[in-house]
Amino acid sequence: MNPHQKSHEQTSSLPPSATPSAPPSATPAATPSAPTPARPNHRFLWISLSVLGASLTVLGTAMAAQQQGTDVALATVALSKSIGTWCAALLTIGILTFLYRDNPFYKVCESILIGVSAAYWMVNGFWSTLVPNLFGKLMPGVVRDVAIPSLPVSATPGFDMALAFVPLLLGLMLLWRLSPKGGWISVWPLAFIIGTTAGIRLVASIEADLLAQASATIRPLVVFKETVLVGGIGAGSTTTSDPSVAMAASVQALDFWGTVGAVTGVVGVLSVLTYFFFSLEHKGAVGKSARLGVWFLMITFGSAFGLTVMGRITLLAQRLEFLFKDWMGIS
Amino acid sequence: MLARLGGIDRRWIFLAMGLSIAVPILLKLRFPEVPGPMAKATFNAIESVPEGSRVLLSFDYDPGSAGELQPMANAIVHHCAARGHKIVFMALWPLGKQMAEGTIKDVLLEFHPTYTYGKDYVQLGYKAGNEAVVKLMATNVPQQYSTDAAGAALASLPIVADLAKLADFKLIASLSAGYPGAKEWVQYANSADPEAFKVISGSTGVQVSQLLPYYPAQMEGMLVAVKGAAEYEMLVTAKYPSSEKPALLAERLGQGRVRMGPQLVAHLLMIGLIILGNVAMVAGRARGGAR
Repeated sequence: MNPHQKSHEQTSSLPPSATPSAPPSATPAATPSAPTPARPNHRFLWISLSVLGASLTVLGTAMAAQQQGTDVALATVALSKSIGTWCAALLTIGILTFLYRDNPFYKVCESILIGVSAAYWMVNGFWSTLVPNLFGKLMPGVVRDVAIPSLPVSATPGFDMALAFVPLLLGLMLLWRLSPKGGWISVWPLAFIIGTTAGIRLVASIEADLLAQASATIRPLVVFKETVLVGGIGAGSTTTSDPSVAMAASVQALDFWGTVGAVTGVVGVLSVLTYFFFSLEHKGAVGKSARLGVWFLMITFGSAFGLTVMGRITLLAQRLEFLFKDWMGIS
Repeated sequence: MLARLGGIDRRWIFLAMGLSIAVPILLKLRFPEVPGPMAKATFNAIESVPEGSRVLLSFDYDPGSAGELQPMANAIVHHCAARGHKIVFMALWPLGKQMAEGTIKDVLLEFHPTYTYGKDYVQLGYKAGNEAVVKLMATNVPQQYSTDAAGAALASLPIVADLAKLADFKLIASLSAGYPGAKEWVQYANSADPEAFKVISGSTGVQVSQLLPYYPAQMEGMLVAVKGAAEYEMLVTAKYPSSEKPALLAERLGQGRVRMGPQLVAHLLMIGLIILGNVAMVAGRARGGAR
């Protein structure tokens, strides 16, 4: 989805007073018969945010001053690092302002992020892919003189050059899509990309996902664990104080939780597979198994959601750590 | 009251969530972590490799996932160096090289100053090609990486002079934020030669559900999100403390544990809000039914 589109949708879910661009005709006064919507008072939210920001700033400054008071003479200002830290801090805060509402500061930060990312990928793709893999094969001498002095010397430069014309040609054909005529030409390299990717992934998926996973699922439902007993009688029940005399023996004891895990795994796989099996109507035993499969799927989605939440909280924690420690000086 | 809760402005929730994360950070709230089986398995995988083995660390993430993966990277590098392993750094993500550089500077050279470039560790850098990079490395590393990141020929670096294929490593660790990452290492490296080396991974929370099926048969160890990082940090710092710089080690290898404090408070808030939201909804429905 277009990020601008998303932001507009999200903005539209806010109360009317939070959308400054709302037309005058949409005001309650224009429709006297409609119930007047309550205008939420954002003053308290603004005050809360301001107080929080001011408190954190004061706290940070105070703690930084206290910490640095003793070694202020040793402090030096690294200008480039300071500028970088301030830029990163302002951009972080700018992005976070979207939580309150869409605003120009957020738009600027978002545009910077998109622009820098696109430019980075473009430059990176040019220098890490095109230059060594294409130009380095077509004109190795020039690339070695101008860009990559350590470009390896090929034993078969002529062959490499001839081979490099293949991706060059396919690349040009792909770019033909931009031409007003002959767009079909780009379909050929696209077919090549799809075919090779499918071929590469097919083998790996069959080996790593299908065969290995099926093999891992076929396992004993009752799990035993080996317990080493000293003296051969029972753990800790040796009758001699001399360890060299004690006889070691091992017995197999039932691993309750291991067994529960094995059974759950097999039942889960079978029931979820049943849910995705549409050749039989989901009635009777098949229906019950499919229903159980839905439960397994829901639990899986729930745990995935929980882990995602954990990841997002960590991201925010890291940004706040940066703001507090690197920007505000609270260590 | 409950009806008002149902219609609360979501920005109050954002504010509460922000505070629930900010306050524990400012108060340095930490809780003891009990290492789980997956963190222990990861630790044991590195321990079980003979001292001085050649290991490959692939930094398959960028700053967007550093909050979760950098603590793992720091701990794994310290662990490997403490065991005297020869470390080869590489990246499947463009910014992975920069992330590895940070770990080399902050952890490897800080706590293991005797580590020499080219002899004890090397930075191969980023290569474009996603899974194709792994696939080619499985059979021919020099064809994929003819030089290190600085342009020095591999043959001139003792640590990788005789490196031919992935099977020449004893252990491969992928710090993975998505595609390409740990999944591709399992699919294209482990499947090609399952007995040659151990594969472990550190993964972001978002990706864990995709990788869990590979543990433990195809992936010997796995660190799950920042919780896994915190548990693994405990194991590593307990066995390999720094006698010269204990405070710095606690800071550099304590990021995961620091971030678990906010996790607890934020999760409690979220659980509370979910319960409150449901109570408000049920109460609203009951009131509607009564009318």
